[in-house]
Amino acid sequence: MKNNFVKLAGVLLIIGAVSAGVLAWLNDVTSDRIAQNEAMASMDPAILEAVMPGSVMFNDYEDTALVDTIKADNNKFINLLTAVDESGNELGKVIRTWSTVKGFNGDLELYVGFTPDGQISGTSVISHAETEGVGSKVTLLAFTEQFIGKDASGEISEGDYDAVSGATYSSKSFLSAVNNAINVYAEYVK
Amino acid sequence: MELVSLFITSFIVNNIIFMQFLGTCPFLGVSKKIDTAAGMGIAVIFVITLASVITYIIHYAILVNLELEYLQTIVFILIIAALVQFVEMFLKKSAPGLYQALGIFLPLITTNCAVLGVAINNIIYEYNFVESLVYSVGISAGFLLAIVLFAGVRDKVDYADLPESLKGSAISLITAGLMSVAFLGFSGLQL
Amino acid sequence: MNKLEIFKNGVTTENPILVQQVGMCATLAITTSLINGIGMGVAVIAVLTGSNIVISLLRKFIPDEVRIPSFIIVIAAFTTIIDLLMHAYTFELYKALGVFIPLIVVNCIILARAEAFASKNSLSDSIIDGLGMGLGYLVAMILLSSVREILGNGTILGFRILPEAYEPMMMAIQPPGAFILLGLLIGIVNYLSRRKKA
Repeated sequence: MKNNFVKLAGVLLIIGAVSAGVLAWLNDVTSDRIAQNEAMASMDPAILEAVMPGSVMFNDYEDTALVDTIKADNNKFINLLTAVDESGNELGKVIRTWSTVKGFNGDLELYVGFTPDGQISGTSVISHAETEGVGSKVTLLAFTEQFIGKDASGEISEGDYDAVSGATYSSKSFLSAVNNAINVYAEYVK
Repeated sequence: MELVSLFITSFIVNNIIFMQFLGTCPFLGVSKKIDTAAGMGIAVIFVITLASVITYIIHYAILVNLELEYLQTIVFILIIAALVQFVEMFLKKSAPGLYQALGIFLPLITTNCAVLGVAINNIIYEYNFVESLVYSVGISAGFLLAIVLFAGVRDKVDYADLPESLKGSAISLITAGLMSVAFLGFSGLQL
Repeated sequence: MNKLEIFKNGVTTENPILVQQVGMCATLAITTSLINGIGMGVAVIAVLTGSNIVISLLRKFIPDEVRIPSFIIVIAAFTTIIDLLMHAYTFELYKALGVFIPLIVVNCIILARAEAFASKNSLSDSIIDGLGMGLGYLVAMILLSSVREILGNGTILGFRILPEAYEPMMMAIQPPGAFILLGLLIGIVNYLSRRKKA
């Protein structure tokens, strides 16, 4: 009977509609939290820890106009980020940059972290094309840890750091990336 | 070839019953006789493959475009339920013997974890259409393999002399566990 | 049946996993650690009780012919609610349970209780039934996952309780172990209930 069919379909439609409505509302309420969780999951914890100990996430710096300005002035600069801990407190700033001097096989890409009082908190190589076992040693802690604590008020000169022996080009390239980050930090962020 | 490797992996290496545990309820329930088990397995292949295709299309064509991904669970399960209804009606007309033999387990394909599981996994693993098809057929063929093997073994187990407490599901599960050890051996298989 | 009997029924006499032996997929897959077992158990209690409540409230309103699709929509809605909440607020557990969270919708227990109980009984009775069956499920999950975690990892809830020298029985954490241990658990339950009857 047509009436009966309409009634049956109607009941299903109402139940479906109410359910969909409740879910749409809940989806809205939770979507920010979920997006945040997913973003945090995609960051490698090793990198987070190496660049800014205690951080769980790098967020884009809010002042996008400033970031655009820096990009216009500095073509090796990639991004300015804020490092936050579990509770959302800011731990410092992170600059993502290319090197300004090529390594043995091309540019290096780095994260350089800065504490609020302007010291380097840590670094991490994001990408490189250096020779495995030779130039790639610039990614190792034995080389990178010397930069921790260095003051970001001025560039680090070649006399002030120890290159990886046998990997001069890679080391100089790394240094140039750190110095580029220092320059950006000193000029725009401080 | 990647697709062949995908098939073998879904068929044996990640066998849906022995390694992923999806579809265990009908697996333990139906498999007493080999021909019923085979019939169930084939019905499942049909439902899983068809369900995968339809849910895949609906997901990408509608849910994603309208940003309604959160409705995935409801939409998928309703599609599966409707599909099983059709399969039931179809079998009733064209293979009444099988329809009778499967009994309650036919509508229960709706609640078979494997069907919904495969549909969801197609999305999670971000397969393209062809990959999702190969994955679905591979997984459901694995179900058929598992259920037929199990029916064969259970036949013998039923004649064994067992303590009362172990009869029924208990010994079925233990048997499945031992068979699972065999499948575990495939996990080193890399194609 | 009075309320206490309904509750006890779910936990012991008609325990969904150990006696009725339904909804086993998650039981076998998730129970590799106690925290996962508890997480899944609680999620099932939430969905089961929630859907029992709604279905019981709507029982006079839903025509018989469309009751199964109606139940499915309600159960799927609650499953999605739990999925969203876990995705947002218990992310680690969400990642651990993975695809088995949406698979709660096909957990036979929930549809079975909707059909056998909630659609035919009062709201308060249905709540008790949901909680009882859910608790029975949780208890079984706790039993199985404790055994698997202790044997397979030497820990419980992440705390080491067996000495470092203990060589973990890897099999307990892997699929065969799940089947065999659950089978043995059911065997033990059978034995105990038969002794009780004698």
